[in-house]
Amino acid sequence: MADTVTIPVPTASSSTHVKPKSRRLRGGWREAGVAWLFLLPALLGFLVFFLYPTLRGFYLSFTNYDLLTAPQWVGGKNFEKLVGDPLFWNSLKVTLEYVVINIGVQTFVALGLALLMHRLAKSTVIRGIILLPYLISSVVVALLWYWMADVNLGVINQVLGWIGVDPIAFFGEGTWAIPTIAMVNVWKFMGYTALLIFAGLQAIPATLYEAADVDGANEWTVFWRITVPMLRPVLTLVLILTIIGSWQIFDTVAITTKGGPINSTRVIQYYIFDQAFSRYNFGYASAISVVLFLILAGVAFAQMKLTRSDESDLA
Amino acid sequence: MKKRYALITALLALPLAVSACSADATEDADSASGEVSYWLWDANQQPAYQQCATDFTAKNPKITVKISQKGWDDYWSAITTGMVSGTAPDVFTDHLSKYTDFFTKHQVLPLDDLVARDNVSTASFEAGLAELWVGSDGKRYGLPKDWDTVGVFHNKKLTDAAGLTPEQLGALAWNPTDGGTYEKAIAHLTVDKSGKRGDEAGFDKGNVKTYGLWMNSSGSGFGQTEWSMYALSNGWTATDKNPWGTHYNYDSPKFQETIKWWKSLIDKGYMPTLANSTGLDGLTQLAAGKVAMATNGDWNTSSVFGNKSASFEPAVAPTPVGPTGKRASVFNGLADSIYAGTKHKEAAWQWVKYLASADCQNVVAEKAVVFPAIPAASEVAAKAFAAKGANVDAFTVHVKDKTTSLPWITAHAADIDAIMKPAMDAVMSGKAEVDSLTKANTDINALFTG
Amino acid sequence: MTAPFKIRRVPMGRMAAWAVLILFIVISLFPLYWMLRTALSNNRSLFADPDSWLPVDFTWGGFKRVLGLSSVAEAQAEGGSGASLQFWLYLRNSVIVSTSITVGQVFFSAMAAYSFSRLQWRGRNAVFFLFLTALMVPPIFTLLPNFVLVKNLGLLNTFAGIILPFFFMTPFAVFFLRQFFLGISREVEEAAIIDGASHLRIFFRIIMPMSSAPVATLAILTFINAWNEYFWPLLVAQDDNVRVLTVALGVFRSQTPQGSPDWAGLMAAALVSAIPIVVLFMVFGRRVVNSIGFSGIK
Repeated sequence: MADTVTIPVPTASSSTHVKPKSRRLRGGWREAGVAWLFLLPALLGFLVFFLYPTLRGFYLSFTNYDLLTAPQWVGGKNFEKLVGDPLFWNSLKVTLEYVVINIGVQTFVALGLALLMHRLAKSTVIRGIILLPYLISSVVVALLWYWMADVNLGVINQVLGWIGVDPIAFFGEGTWAIPTIAMVNVWKFMGYTALLIFAGLQAIPATLYEAADVDGANEWTVFWRITVPMLRPVLTLVLILTIIGSWQIFDTVAITTKGGPINSTRVIQYYIFDQAFSRYNFGYASAISVVLFLILAGVAFAQMKLTRSDESDLA
Repeated sequence: MKKRYALITALLALPLAVSACSADATEDADSASGEVSYWLWDANQQPAYQQCATDFTAKNPKITVKISQKGWDDYWSAITTGMVSGTAPDVFTDHLSKYTDFFTKHQVLPLDDLVARDNVSTASFEAGLAELWVGSDGKRYGLPKDWDTVGVFHNKKLTDAAGLTPEQLGALAWNPTDGGTYEKAIAHLTVDKSGKRGDEAGFDKGNVKTYGLWMNSSGSGFGQTEWSMYALSNGWTATDKNPWGTHYNYDSPKFQETIKWWKSLIDKGYMPTLANSTGLDGLTQLAAGKVAMATNGDWNTSSVFGNKSASFEPAVAPTPVGPTGKRASVFNGLADSIYAGTKHKEAAWQWVKYLASADCQNVVAEKAVVFPAIPAASEVAAKAFAAKGANVDAFTVHVKDKTTSLPWITAHAADIDAIMKPAMDAVMSGKAEVDSLTKANTDINALFTG
Repeated sequence: MTAPFKIRRVPMGRMAAWAVLILFIVISLFPLYWMLRTALSNNRSLFADPDSWLPVDFTWGGFKRVLGLSSVAEAQAEGGSGASLQFWLYLRNSVIVSTSITVGQVFFSAMAAYSFSRLQWRGRNAVFFLFLTALMVPPIFTLLPNFVLVKNLGLLNTFAGIILPFFFMTPFAVFFLRQFFLGISREVEEAAIIDGASHLRIFFRIIMPMSSAPVATLAILTFINAWNEYFWPLLVAQDDNVRVLTVALGVFRSQTPQGSPDWAGLMAAALVSAIPIVVLFMVFGRRVVNSIGFSGIK
């Protein structure tokens, strides 16, 4: 069979040889002016609601601030404290474990779902059904699974009992707690992630698939040679978004395990909130947040560079 | 360049809101007017307080009260956000675990001058409650509104089937050595999947169908509904003095032998392991028939008795008598505090005074949700509970027999909890020995000296 | 290497694929069925029969409490709290808030995404990365400053106060659309430029219609996020006439420490508040389907 199929991919150079003589809208100050104009409303929102609070947060990380009296400058003390804080390192480890399980399973499942929907059944109904878990608020999802997976009264253990498995304390057992929370969120977000990938699949021109069909390519080749490369910008988007969102997990932990048992689910965002609002160590919490922020920025930056996602094979 | 940096730093350092104004010159009672905002978290009590508000405005036409309810999970973050931004409610229901932070950061108003001026008698409340609300600086920050104790909720259907009469349940005694008649009852109530009871030969502790006693959690450093009733009736005192002690006694043999005994219940299969008790709360498990007895506080009485069904007949027994010859229960109480940044200080004070008065507390008592702090009102509440089918003698017996203990209040509460919770979790899950609590105690005491 | 499934060849592969899809549908739906079963149960009997897969002691009480049709006595008899709920008012408020946020956010983010993807200017990638970092801003940083700003603008207890932080953009929306705009082929744009169109025309007449699938998807997702916002509206808007549905339905969660939620009411509330979105998706979802495989070149 034809394993080597030449797939016609429009090259990036096809556009550059057309240079209209009359109006030059490409490059130069004119284009920049228009660009900034288009950017203006979003820029305003960004500056006021994101940049200023972030800068303030950065500033607070160098202070002792208990929210109710003025902040006092302490320099790098919070960061020193952070390095020597076993709970901080624990929270990093716990969150990393969560992210790996959550993203690993979720991306795989979502990709599979998106492909299935794309190739098998394009109906809105199925798409709607898959998206339903996303519509339910995180708090209700957490409470629902807290009950369904309850070791004494939950339906999951009831079913396990039918096949002869002893009840598992999904939220109570240290080794099960984080994977359980990860899987609860896979359930909630798999449809949403699949929808994003599906939107990307739809944007792939049908002509490419038609050409591949004409050449007699099989599904696997089509997947690797057409779908994945064409999906690159969207896949990067999805991965960056889901990884960043995953690192910031909070709601499920706050409703179910609250950091227990014995700190095995004390994820970093929960630790931050606890320090900020319960212990009034807002400066220290800000320092931890800064570290989290830098980690995430590093991850995003690395991902974007690795996948060259600011280019696309069509543009 | 330098100037710009200086300006930016100055902008970032601006406090977000003007900090709470200090108290104005004393206004007199006649100037009280305006709208007082009042927050509470228990939706079950809202109708009662709404009634109080209506009655209050009838007596004080110039003042209106706007009540807002936010569930416990959101309540404190909303209050803190309000305080930071200067929009906190004028009056709010306060809790002992939180008010230390508030008064040390000057967010709540001291009431001493107003109490003295208006001759409010703090002796009119149940003994001990009013002292709880005097801060370590000697000033008063709240007037008591209710009290609570703990008891042993149980399923009468299961206790009847085990041959335990209410009289027997009311006379149980325990000790740290062999658990006394209390442990015997728990063992007898535990049933495994093949129907064998905990005190019969052949009992399979790995396959328990119904536990004898539930464990809500490890209890952290407080154990109000978990183990405080045992430790206190063993003669243990938590701190050197109360309130505002500076030395904890988690290293005391009296405490550690209590916890050791409590943990032994798990080892014997009468109580679920820590992992197996994480999940839906003990009172739900009680209603579902997974456990025969569960210690908990009287604030859950309505919901427990409301879950009555064909298989669950709710009842409550008093906590067992300990080696000291007496029972014990922590005697907690809520109060209402005034926000330091309130713009209606006098009106807020009039409302707080009304909330602490017999008029309002009787209204609350009639709804049978909590026990108000004024003795006469709590009698009304006991009757109201009984009228709803709930016999609450098990809770009021502590007040009658004076077997209550005030909850221990010290500084560094959050830090202490952060040490004790993992320590107790480790002990109760078998990952650490009971004497590991001595090390935790040393760490805790270091907070006061270090 | 054998392919996992081949459409024209072996029907077995196709059946396996359908089996997997159906499995996922079941996994998605079962917990929702559990919610329905609980919503139709009586709280009082709920745990007397924990193993039942059918509603326990069937009652419409949960839904009645959500829609505000239950009296205090009825509610308390079934384990509810008896707080009054002006359902239709809160629904109206949620619709106003979510629609405003969606319209503003999608529109302004699309403009920004256009700037980042279809226009060439110095510093474009750096500024885009800066916007991207807003995704990672820790929530504790933004909560208090935004609240104080809204208070200082006098917008507490108004719709504007709830909408404001989300109205102009979110990093997600900008990122999402930018990636899709990148995928649009240049030929159409070039043709328009040759014909003398301004960037504004290109944006409105060409790029936006071509991107109706991602834009519709984004609109739906933005609407869902705005609809489910809980903590911010809780803080900002307390009065009845601006309270949104999610905040109002928070009354079904446990109100006291260590209390249990009004399960039937809570599950009914979650289901009811999801219905408007389902309806929306059914109506606009077709638009997402109908723009398959746009070829681009006329």
